Amino acid sequence: MQTRREFTRAVGLGTLGMGLAPSLLYARQSPAAPSPVKDPKYRNWSEEALREAKRLGCSYADIRFTQNRSNGIAVRNGQLVTTGNIGFGQFGDEDTYGFGVRVIHSGVWGFSSSPLVAPAEITRIVGMATEVAKASAMSKKFDVRLAPVKPYDTFWQTPITVDPWNVPLADKIALLVDATTRMQKNPDVMFANAAANFNYEWKVLATSEGSFIEQVSYYTACSMSATARKDGTVKTRTYNPGTQTKGYEFLTDSDLPGNAARVAAEAVEHATAKPIGSGLKDLVLMPSHSALTMHEIIAHPTELDRIVGYEANYAGTSFVTLKDLGRLKYGSKLMNVYADRTHPGGASTVGYDDDGVEAQKWDLIREGRLVGLQTNRETAHYIGETFSRGCTFANHWRNYPFLRMPNVQMEPGPQGSPTTEQMIADIKDGVLVEGQGSFSIDQQRYNGQFGGDAFWEIRNGKKTRMVTDFTYNAITTDFWANLDAVGPPETWEHHGMGGDAKGQPVQSNRPSHGSAPMLIRRVMVGAAFS
Amino acid sequence: MSYSRDQVKQITDKVLNMAKADAVEVRFSGGERSATRFANSSITANLIEHDQEVAVTVYYGQKTASATTHQFDDASLVRMIEQVQELAKRKPDNPELMQPVKGPQPYVEIDAVLPATANFGPAERAAMVKISTDICEKKGVLGAGYIPKLHWTDALANSHGLFGYFRYAEASFILTCRTPDQTGSGWAGTTGVKDIANINAAQLTEVAADKGLKSRKPRAIEPGNYTVILEPRPAARFLSLVLGALNARAAEEGRSFMSGKERGSTRVGEKVFGENVTLRSEIGNPILRQTPIGQDGLAAKSVTWIEKGVVKNLFYDRYWATRQKQEATGTQPGMSLVMEGGTATVDEMIKSTKRGLLVSFFWYIRGVDNQTLLNTGMTRDGLFLIENGEIVAPVQNFRWNESPAVGFNNITMLGRPVPMHTGEAYDNPGTALVPPMKIEDFTMTSISPAV
Repeated sequence: MQTRREFTRAVGLGTLGMGLAPSLLYARQSPAAPSPVKDPKYRNWSEEALREAKRLGCSYADIRFTQNRSNGIAVRNGQLVTTGNIGFGQFGDEDTYGFGVRVIHSGVWGFSSSPLVAPAEITRIVGMATEVAKASAMSKKFDVRLAPVKPYDTFWQTPITVDPWNVPLADKIALLVDATTRMQKNPDVMFANAAANFNYEWKVLATSEGSFIEQVSYYTACSMSATARKDGTVKTRTYNPGTQTKGYEFLTDSDLPGNAARVAAEAVEHATAKPIGSGLKDLVLMPSHSALTMHEIIAHPTELDRIVGYEANYAGTSFVTLKDLGRLKYGSKLMNVYADRTHPGGASTVGYDDDGVEAQKWDLIREGRLVGLQTNRETAHYIGETFSRGCTFANHWRNYPFLRMPNVQMEPGPQGSPTTEQMIADIKDGVLVEGQGSFSIDQQRYNGQFGGDAFWEIRNGKKTRMVTDFTYNAITTDFWANLDAVGPPETWEHHGMGGDAKGQPVQSNRPSHGSAPMLIRRVMVGAAFS
Repeated sequence: MSYSRDQVKQITDKVLNMAKADAVEVRFSGGERSATRFANSSITANLIEHDQEVAVTVYYGQKTASATTHQFDDASLVRMIEQVQELAKRKPDNPELMQPVKGPQPYVEIDAVLPATANFGPAERAAMVKISTDICEKKGVLGAGYIPKLHWTDALANSHGLFGYFRYAEASFILTCRTPDQTGSGWAGTTGVKDIANINAAQLTEVAADKGLKSRKPRAIEPGNYTVILEPRPAARFLSLVLGALNARAAEEGRSFMSGKERGSTRVGEKVFGENVTLRSEIGNPILRQTPIGQDGLAAKSVTWIEKGVVKNLFYDRYWATRQKQEATGTQPGMSLVMEGGTATVDEMIKSTKRGLLVSFFWYIRGVDNQTLLNTGMTRDGLFLIENGEIVAPVQNFRWNESPAVGFNNITMLGRPVPMHTGEAYDNPGTALVPPMKIEDFTMTSISPAV
């Protein structure tokens, strides 16, 4: 059996043509900037900041110190294109460190942040956040109401096997080069891309309600794609394992090189595929695809801040109203959806949110009926709850925290539920959909048009051929009412994504959704191309 | 936090002197991003963010690496530089790597910081919110809005004598007014404004509130092809779909709408849009007052991308330009963008329309097919049916599937260009001068009761 080190050595020798000397493969990456984990000075600085906020008359205050490191690597046709963060809204190998202060004064929020982490600046920023809150009071119509939370003094860390910052850069590059080289063996492939992205976050949150919470999180993401040209048509096929709160092991376990030949062949097949046409068809959605559908038409509409209008000027509101809780028939009886910030590896998994609320798991939809919503301390009172579900998050020390979605997952069917093959066998005219493509949805999350990455026609119980020019249209509650089968537990998969925009100024988070393959009946297909 | 030219030069000089390499490039960015956000006619977020960043790139032959830091003390800078020097030496050669641009570059002088805008603080923003929400209350609507302000400095310096510095202050006012029964919603806004005297919060609130009230209880009409009148915001979003296609490399590699019939050729010289479509980057435009620092520090120059529907220029990055023996384009397609307009008012467009739609906003636009520029999106925050020259009713929102390759061949009227952001959000620079436009045969494919 070949070890990873032997494997990378073999790859290194094979890549001399692009200028990577084998000796470089074993060079260690330089040590990153020292991490401030468990440094007592943050406790002292926090106490001073909270004391200052109290002196200024704030009824609530918190201070959040954060350090983020990111390292992204992208390879195109065997050639290193960049090392740098290739995530949402960021670039460069980033090492960023700063703090944000949030206060409530006169019943209104104030927030300010700075990269200059030192006592005098902390005092200045506390003062500035307070001034911002005071200024805002002139046009407030209601006071901020926070649900109570227990104080915690604790440390939490993402469990990982291999720290990406302990893996030589050359190993990372070699793995991605191997993946693109294997894709390029297919003569019809014009471009082969592979990328990996590693993120580290250290965060301390101290609140005026007695919490001091230190957390360390790791995020690893990877993907690859082949673009093929055949008879003048250019199409791409992607293999996108996504993002998970895991270490380097997520990249190796995702086995990009082992999927390269398949992805290349499917890119060529896609370039020669015939359009699917339009009409009502049954769809088998694989978990790599349904993750984004669930994100758009389950996770977003059940965010309570959207429901009560906080996002009316940007991300939008929701077709769900407060009166719908406990009443709305969201989908068929097979539909069981829960929110979970504790799921191991989930991209939205944390120990505590940015309000200091412990991570939880709770139901959103049970047997097709809406039973729960995503809340935080600020919004819980809108549904009469006296506790927060812990959905507050800021994507940077620079940004203010607000309600962001947890991992939102659909339960698999019970043991013995139809497998993908059995779903296909039960379809006369349909399409099997994998991966994520064009996604667009209205501001209340009711009319969605979704694409995908690869599509196979199903005819008379058989998966026949790859097709192209595929989109489908979903009116949310009609779509889920037609959920006719959900796969068994062993087919359940979790897919994390790189970014999701919400808020003003816009912030990104890492949404993350899991499901088994599912069968949706009678969906309108192909309207975009007809 | 604001950074003068001298302060920034001091920092970039310091990093240039500290880094040892064949060549060194230093990017600086920093300043203040502030914002006030309100919903249900009350402030929900008010903030002042500060940030500063130095990014250093070192070059050793064809090897390079970059790293950034937000801390400017000596220890942090030394750590960043040592790290990047070590990293670069371990990198494989990058055959596409271009050496830094030689300086100095002849940048156009642009005054983009007016004191009133630079000093536009949380109290002034809250006062603006009050003006707006008082009108909302009087009219019986709920205001949800956003007032971002950016006072920012970008600079680029390198060891070949280049130093480019640009500081700007700009603000926007964006508002959605919803009716309490949740059946009506209207939008109004202005973006990327360098002189805050040009933000008229009261007038914009009147527009958004009236639209919200008039759009109550919309009726459903059949999808199909409609004459549409795009107000500046949806026009700017539709225009933005063209920008990505102006890349020469993608065109010559055969993976773009601008790819010619023969492999390796482009559509430069070909008429791809209607006679009335002219698109330019006007560096130094007195309304936009946007950065003169182009690709890799090259001085941005005015470029005509599309003239009377004919493709005149594509964007060549420095590597691709060298490979194809072309001149590199200093100006990226989104810079100081101006779409030529006409003289028609939106009212005149309505009066001239037998049956059509007045569109206030486009939302969630996503590509469907890259080669044809086919995109999909939704209408939002005020969609009205026009019959025989008059607005007759609010109608339910439509999903559309359309390409600017079709739409920009069907423009029949254009209005006066105004500043409007071309992106989905409003936080970063991206405002262009965009006219309202009337387009025939725009494809609406399904309806949504979403308000």
